[in-house]
Amino acid sequence: MITQEMLRDPQKVTWCTGCGNFGILAALKKAVIELDRPIHEIVLTSGIGCSSKIPHYIGGVNSIHTLHGRPIPIATGIHLANTGLDVIVHTGDGDCLAEGLGHFVHAARRNVNLAVFIHNNGVNGLTKGQFSPSAPRGYISKTSPPPPGAPMDPVNPMAQAITAGATFAARGFSGDQNGLVNLMVKAIRHKGFAVVDILQPCVTWNHILTWKYYNEHTYSLQENGHDVTDKIQALAKAMENGARYPTGVFYNVERPDLASGIALPEKGALKDHITDLKDVQKIIDDLML
Amino acid sequence: MDISFNIGGEAGQGIDTIGDLLTQVFVQAGFYTFTIKDFESRIRGGYNFTQIRVSDKPIHASVDHVDVIIALSKDAIVGQRDRLTKGGVIMFDEGIEFDDLEACHFSAPLEKTAREVGGNIKMMNAAALGAVLSVINFPFSLAEEALSDIFGRKGEKIVQGNVDVAKALYELTKSNFTGTCNYNLETLKKGPCRDKLLLTGNKALALGAIAANVKWISSYPMSPSTSAFQDIVEYAHKLKIGTIQTEDEIASLGMTIGASYAGARSMVTTSGGGFSLMVESLGLAAMTETPVVIYNAQRPGPSTGLPTRTEQADLLFMTFASQGEFPRIILAPKDPIEGFDVATRAFNLADKFQIPVMILGDQYFSDSAMNIPRIDVSDVRRDYGKIAKAGPDSEYKRYLLTEDGISPRAFPGDEGKTIVSSGNVHREDGHITEDSELRNLMVQKFMNKIPAIMAEMKPPTVYGKEKAETTLLTWGSTWGAANEAMETLASSGVSINQLHFSDVYPLRTVKLRDVFAASKQVISVEQNITSQFAQLVKMQTGLEITQYINKYDGRPMTPGWIISELKEAGLV
Repeated sequence: MITQEMLRDPQKVTWCTGCGNFGILAALKKAVIELDRPIHEIVLTSGIGCSSKIPHYIGGVNSIHTLHGRPIPIATGIHLANTGLDVIVHTGDGDCLAEGLGHFVHAARRNVNLAVFIHNNGVNGLTKGQFSPSAPRGYISKTSPPPPGAPMDPVNPMAQAITAGATFAARGFSGDQNGLVNLMVKAIRHKGFAVVDILQPCVTWNHILTWKYYNEHTYSLQENGHDVTDKIQALAKAMENGARYPTGVFYNVERPDLASGIALPEKGALKDHITDLKDVQKIIDDLML
Repeated sequence: MDISFNIGGEAGQGIDTIGDLLTQVFVQAGFYTFTIKDFESRIRGGYNFTQIRVSDKPIHASVDHVDVIIALSKDAIVGQRDRLTKGGVIMFDEGIEFDDLEACHFSAPLEKTAREVGGNIKMMNAAALGAVLSVINFPFSLAEEALSDIFGRKGEKIVQGNVDVAKALYELTKSNFTGTCNYNLETLKKGPCRDKLLLTGNKALALGAIAANVKWISSYPMSPSTSAFQDIVEYAHKLKIGTIQTEDEIASLGMTIGASYAGARSMVTTSGGGFSLMVESLGLAAMTETPVVIYNAQRPGPSTGLPTRTEQADLLFMTFASQGEFPRIILAPKDPIEGFDVATRAFNLADKFQIPVMILGDQYFSDSAMNIPRIDVSDVRRDYGKIAKAGPDSEYKRYLLTEDGISPRAFPGDEGKTIVSSGNVHREDGHITEDSELRNLMVQKFMNKIPAIMAEMKPPTVYGKEKAETTLLTWGSTWGAANEAMETLASSGVSINQLHFSDVYPLRTVKLRDVFAASKQVISVEQNITSQFAQLVKMQTGLEITQYINKYDGRPMTPGWIISELKEAGLV
């Protein structure tokens, strides 16, 4: 069994006081415990940004902290090399929905068995608060280029995930611990591409998407009757991206995952499979004229 | 005997199948062959050719002249006639409208005979073969034997059909062809060559990778690297190799790093443009000390350049790609034989030093084919480098500081160990740090690997006399053309040898200094305009090369071209 003690921070957390990431870290630890899996079979991958420092604040768990926007391809490689692992991606809106959006869409299309947690706060925090791809149109940032206000509509991660082919799409809120832990566990256990869009305030830069704002503008899908197997209904809910944010599971279906279409060994992990040199010699000898 | 055949036509007309058949017949008959492919970046039409050189002595390059042309289109007649040797033949199907006939031309009923005698238009290959063999007076009995070896697996009927069609054209040509040909091989016996493995550079590289136990390859198609990827994919199901065509080259190297971090031997194949996209990930592989093998089959750049042609202009780019400083290895195989060895070595070196290893080929290496001796895989060694002792170890540190800079690897899934990696500067346990002392130690950790890496780099090889007045300095695939040029010149009395590098970086310098001291002039021969290898030599050793031979039109060098360039420049 995994204990909180085993997961203790390996180093001092550098997030701002009151940061929404603390709620996500706390939920991740609880989710890892609730999973009830051997700890060495869990791998965290992350990109770049405040969100992506999370592997350094949870002890005892394997991790690779990668490049801006690129954790999904790296996670895909880890997963296919050893499908016995639970591979979790922590990424931010600035990470996953900007440089990483192409990978996100293609991973959804492939239904690769990953759980992707998007720490979504509408800003690029670590680079001093520029608007991110999920900032609403007109969002003013002192550090983004003029004209003031984001001159474009935001990326809609739930709608992107659902249309691209993700088989599990959910939204959580960093202020709702129980709800978030539940979504994380479901996403990790889901066999296929699972996305949790996690609303979180950036207390330093974003004075619009605050704790108060999210508390007042979110409502639960599951408490209001929603068919998670209906793609069109899920998409309709995903498009409610503005005045009110639905939280909970939008979409949850089963489809063949990527690993089932790759030449993996029937037993054991790909990483442990050894090509028999006799087979290679036979291939060469068959090529002989 | 040294004959050059050129089979030209539009893309999609079956140039390759005629070429393959011709090559196979000569290989079966005991000759050395060397084939190049010259094609345009298009699916159908255009003008493309396959050129096959056949000799009773080992050959490693193509030549400028052509003895027999098989033209499947008018362009193929016109496009090559200037290169035809005196006494050569241009043969084409009677269906091609071409009026400007000369004595060297021979219009033959290739298609008609295939249909009427063989009952299958596909047997036009055999028809072309019969006509070609006839004009050079190649004994038909040798061809018959070869055809039955080649088509034997397809059954007696196919063998007989092909033999009949070839024979019909052979006889018809004998009575109808009035021109003369330089070659009369009437008395030819089986050749001396017993090398029956016909491989392109890419295929050899792919075989090397599977022999090395590659378990993961993710790539995006890009000429001229694509066939290497396909050659591995072909065996993926049989051998259990994870393969995927990704959305872009960034994802290709990303997945490869992930798979390698998780413990699978992994590689990518690409060309310069794709490698450009991979550069950021190259740095991640370096910083996380994750072994990866990157194959760049170069083509002329910048940008899209000439997609299906050859150049050696990515050397300095590969040598210095990525921000920051870290050890890397670059290997440039000279031919398919070396391609196999280089691939197996690349994986061992990547694992041993936990660094990116880059294989630098080019279209000439990728697509050229030669028959080589059987590869015996019992010589293949798989060295996975330092792996942590199995079993729980709560103190395990992925980046443990060691004397040689190499920390034992462990993989996620290993019970009782936590494997933490980061592209940020990190502590021994893999968690990030901004500590100045640790930064220094981690940078030094990289550099501490270099002496052992240097010891694994093969020194350059001197071909020809150990000491000569003139030395040709070459690297990678231009070896063959330069080697033949050097031997031809040496046999005519010029004091010349060749210093060749296949392991190009980090650079071994001892032999280089010896040769510089012994030779009066060192001439770099490179398939680029800025003599990149010569620049690297100067940068690393201070030795200055002042004479250069450069080719950058995208077409491969030939021995004849090198000799004429040397003579024109007054260097020999």
